[in-house]
Amino acid sequence: MARLRARDESAMTLFYDRYSAALYGVILRIVKAEDEAEDVLQEALVKIWHAFGNYDPGKGRLFTWVLNICRNLSIDKIRSRQHRVGSRTQGLDDSLTAQRQAAPVTFRPEHIGLQEITQKLIPEQRQIIDLLYFEGFTQSEVAEELNIPLGTVKTRARTAIKVLSKLVR
Amino acid sequence: MENIQDYIESGILEQYALGVLTAAEQAAVDALAAAHPAIRTELADVQAALGLYAEAHAQTPPAALRERVLAHVLRQIQPVAPAPASALRADVDAVAQARNLAAAPATTPGAVVRPLLAAPAAAAAGRSPWALAAAVALLLSLGGNALLYARWQAAGQDLVALQNDQARFAATSQVVDKQLGTLKEQNSILRSDEFRAVALAGTKDAPTARARVLFNAATHRVYLDVRSLPALPAGKQYQLWALAGGKPVDAGLLAATTAAGDDLQQMKDVASAQAFAMTVEPTGGSAAPTMPIQAMGAVAI
Repeated sequence: MARLRARDESAMTLFYDRYSAALYGVILRIVKAEDEAEDVLQEALVKIWHAFGNYDPGKGRLFTWVLNICRNLSIDKIRSRQHRVGSRTQGLDDSLTAQRQAAPVTFRPEHIGLQEITQKLIPEQRQIIDLLYFEGFTQSEVAEELNIPLGTVKTRARTAIKVLSKLVR
Repeated sequence: MENIQDYIESGILEQYALGVLTAAEQAAVDALAAAHPAIRTELADVQAALGLYAEAHAQTPPAALRERVLAHVLRQIQPVAPAPASALRADVDAVAQARNLAAAPATTPGAVVRPLLAAPAAAAAGRSPWALAAAVALLLSLGGNALLYARWQAAGQDLVALQNDQARFAATSQVVDKQLGTLKEQNSILRSDEFRAVALAGTKDAPTARARVLFNAATHRVYLDVRSLPALPAGKQYQLWALAGGKPVDAGLLAATTAAGDDLQQMKDVASAQAFAMTVEPTGGSAAPTMPIQAMGAVAI
């Protein structure tokens, strides 16, 4: 990490070896296509390199920080793709639903914890976390998409995160 | 302070961690987190939870991608690297040229530069050697301090990184421990002599169904091990029944993971049984079995 700060280029290789699996997994889960995931990973690493001076260890873990950079880039990517491909008025919801259903097919969890974690979350909680975390929905968009009250979305998101943080400990 | 608890309960920290807040809202959260340790702790928990969820989706990229991405990234981040080399080259050339020019002072403008350079050198020679020594000592000390400070900071950051790593490993090993415990328990059941295995074979309504009941007549324990069961529509669930003296006794509902064959499930205790059978019931189960029976097997006597 210090070497990353010092802009030592071999640090990039170390960084890649340590974090690429976690970051690639998240990126792939969001953009869903392997070639695009590669682009985003590349872009993210360059961005992390240049923005490293802005990282403030007092505000949170390095992992959280880089994860958010990757998430934001990935979400931007799918947003711009939807913008390019479809008419915004009618196509948006359909294409999102289609992508969500397509996800389990292309997605092969390799990490040992996934099953454990998904068993702990009830499907409704998982769906909400996925929409918020992997699709970049706002809470009111989730409420609209699932046709449930905003309050329910908030409670479910909060309970789901509670469940997850028990697993951390 | 009660307000803090309300604030934490409001769900804004989750929104912060999910990145759905505006920049202004984010700054407000940052400020509160800096002021209140309780908020800071809660926020760290939320972020760790999401981090765990993200890591659960980890997927090692293809090996070929590593070379491509790293090569590309390294190319992008060091466009400066070749520049100093060529700049240096240019400097060397310039110096060499200046020397050549100096060798023939009368004919070139290079000669004009020389006296200017010589003048400060003469002035410096005139200064007290003590002042020079002090200046050098000060510079050395400054340099040393800067170096030590940088090392100290680097050590602190390494420590944080290591702590993060350690926390991640601890989380993973906890999960593994738990799974190991479950597997050990299941293994001891499978190896125990007290348990009698009852094979359930599919009826004509579910010819592919296959499962095994492990029944301990002494402790009345019942475990179920599914090999394969047809998938059920939403709102339906498999239920196990023990047949004792011709009467069906509820032996419990199959969890989704059990029906999928992922897990050995402990069912309800059964006092005695001549056979076990499985039916499809509405989610939540029924008091009496709904025909037809999907799979069935008799306890060997």
